[in-house]
Amino acid sequence: MPKILIVDDDSLIRELLLQVLEPFEENGVTLLSAQNGVIAVEVINKELPDMVFLDVMMPKMNGFEVCRIVKSTAALKDIYIVMLTAKGQEVDKQNATAAGVDYYITKPFNISEIIKKVNEVLNMNVS
Amino acid sequence: MIVSKLFKKTLLIIIAIFIVIAMTIAISTGWNIYRDLTQEYKSKGTAIAKSIANSSVETLLNRDAATIQAMIDQFLEIVGVSYVFVLDSQGEIISHTFVPNVPEEIYALGTKKTRAIFISDVNLFNKGDFIDIEAPVLEGTVGYVHVGMDKGIIMSQMGTAMVRQLSLLSAIFLFSIVLIYTLMNKISQPLNTLTEYARRLASHDFSSPVNIQSTDEIGLLANTMTSLATDLNEVFERYEQAINDAIVELQHTLVYLTAVIDNMADGLLVTDTDGVINHVNPALTTMFALKETDMIGKNCKDIFGPGFAELLGKTRMHTDQVFTSEVKLAQGRTGKAVATGIHQDVLQSGYGDLGSVILIRDITSEKEVDRMKTDFISTVSHELRTPLTSVLGFTGIIKSKLESMVFPHIDIDGNDKLEKEIRRIRHNLETILSEGERLTALINDVLDISKLEAGKVEWKMEKVMLADIIDRAVSATASLFEQKKILFIRDIQYNLPFVIADRDKMIQVMINLLSNAVKFTEKGSVTCRVRQEEDEVIVSLIDTGRGISDGDREIIFEKFKQAGDTLTDKPTGTGLGLPICKQIIEFHGGRIWVKSKPEKGSIFSFSLLLKKPEEPDMTDVYSSAGAAGEVAREKQ
Repeated sequence: MPKILIVDDDSLIRELLLQVLEPFEENGVTLLSAQNGVIAVEVINKELPDMVFLDVMMPKMNGFEVCRIVKSTAALKDIYIVMLTAKGQEVDKQNATAAGVDYYITKPFNISEIIKKVNEVLNMNVS
Repeated sequence: MIVSKLFKKTLLIIIAIFIVIAMTIAISTGWNIYRDLTQEYKSKGTAIAKSIANSSVETLLNRDAATIQAMIDQFLEIVGVSYVFVLDSQGEIISHTFVPNVPEEIYALGTKKTRAIFISDVNLFNKGDFIDIEAPVLEGTVGYVHVGMDKGIIMSQMGTAMVRQLSLLSAIFLFSIVLIYTLMNKISQPLNTLTEYARRLASHDFSSPVNIQSTDEIGLLANTMTSLATDLNEVFERYEQAINDAIVELQHTLVYLTAVIDNMADGLLVTDTDGVINHVNPALTTMFALKETDMIGKNCKDIFGPGFAELLGKTRMHTDQVFTSEVKLAQGRTGKAVATGIHQDVLQSGYGDLGSVILIRDITSEKEVDRMKTDFISTVSHELRTPLTSVLGFTGIIKSKLESMVFPHIDIDGNDKLEKEIRRIRHNLETILSEGERLTALINDVLDISKLEAGKVEWKMEKVMLADIIDRAVSATASLFEQKKILFIRDIQYNLPFVIADRDKMIQVMINLLSNAVKFTEKGSVTCRVRQEEDEVIVSLIDTGRGISDGDREIIFEKFKQAGDTLTDKPTGTGLGLPICKQIIEFHGGRIWVKSKPEKGSIFSFSLLLKKPEEPDMTDVYSSAGAAGEVAREKQ
């Protein structure tokens, strides 16, 4: 069954995303979460999620580094990475592209946009 | 000796006249003397000839030559008688007084053999001219007597008389001249003194007065001139003093102004109309680490690069506008140049365009503060997003859970209070969401404007078609039009040329203006009209909304200023949309303005230059971010 990993150092954001993605969990998707980049890499290696929501600004290891590791590892490079970034920071956009990010969503995000994207990536139809 | 010019001229005329008169008189006198003496000699000669003829009849008949010789010799002693000779009736000379021989001419003369006295002129070689008088003796039967009167004596006497007369006339003339000179000198000497005095006055020498004591017109003139000189002297002294005072005052002002300019903290650069530097102050030399001598007389372009020349060019083109730009200073510092044309009213000063003046302020620390401010705003906005994400996200979840799982299970049948509470909960949740979105927009706009103002925006200038930009903006705002049932009218001139602009930023401007137009229009339409006017394109958004009052029109392009009553009206925007538009349009070298009538609608317009806008790559002087702050504003 599909797995989605949520990575953010802010527990409220993790909680929010977990709640937003609850309908998918009800449809058999496994939701995982990690509070920093290091743990995220461990979880990715162990669980091989289909999709990762990745915050940029995190202690220990930031989102770009996580993304770079994932995209440079042959076994992991197909994982769909959605970067959660702050709007208007041009540098972030450039870094995201350089790191191989598949999609980015600016904070504060729109719930329907998240749901739409997950449906698209996991080829599901959950509302 | 001073001889007046008048006297000299008069003297020449007098001499000429004198010569004519004297010569006429002398010639006339000479002629009279000649005529009288000739007559007298003729009479005298005739008498002598007759006397000899009468007294020599017998002697002649006897042919007593010795007696005749003795007789005629005594006549030679009479003054004027030159020769006497006696001929017989045959014409043979019997006696004569010629020494030693009878001249050939006498033989040639012969005798006329008339019975009366015959007078003729004779010229004897080497002896001169003579009057020859022939007297017959007994009517020529016995012989003839010839007496020669010397004409030379007549000529000599005539000459002497003429010389005497001329001498006398000359003496009289010379005496008269001396007399006239003395008289004229007496008149002209004070005139000369006056002339000399007038000359001194003309050269502003009022030191010595003129010394003329006479009481005639000249004395009166001298007195008047002296009094005039005194007055003039006073006036001159007064003016001289006034001029000296003015010069001193001017020097003080100049020293003061120079001190002000030299002590200015800002750098000052003054150029002529060709861009040649003619004044700099110490602050400027320090800013650029150049010597004054390295700059004066040189062209701005050669010293500061083409960017500066471009800035000056703008002030030449629009002398009534102020242009600003960032410049690179020495030691990696940054300055802000404020340039304007030096223009004077031609009618008032005689000068028109005099050049340009540029003030440069070191804004390195301000830039640093700006950078820190932008960084701070960037951090704050980032930090605000996280809690805002939670607020908006959880509210959204609450709303969807309530709508999908809670409200459908509540039995409100007949319970009005419960129904009212549910309505209120829905409304409050909507408010949280819409205000949260407004807060998000505000954070985004604050970030945008702080970046624009700090020149930290990276511009992607490219060829864009305005129609594409407008269509993109229209589709982004289409839902707003649908919600309020407002008609959108697209009126774009066909075949518009492309413009050089940042596509995303221009779309942002159009979205801002379109959403504003819809926001303030309750019914009717919003027209987007695009027209090419000379070298620019004018984009206008014409709405049929509530319009803007005169007072509000002034402030809507200022940050956080919104039209309408902010105390009673619910704010609907961030108050930063139009200031952001203004910054973007002005970066593109365009203008943005509004025309509006309350209750009739508003027309928001902006212009874009069709020619390539000034590139921000201002070599050496301009930083790449500098041009972001380059704006033109009307002189106050």
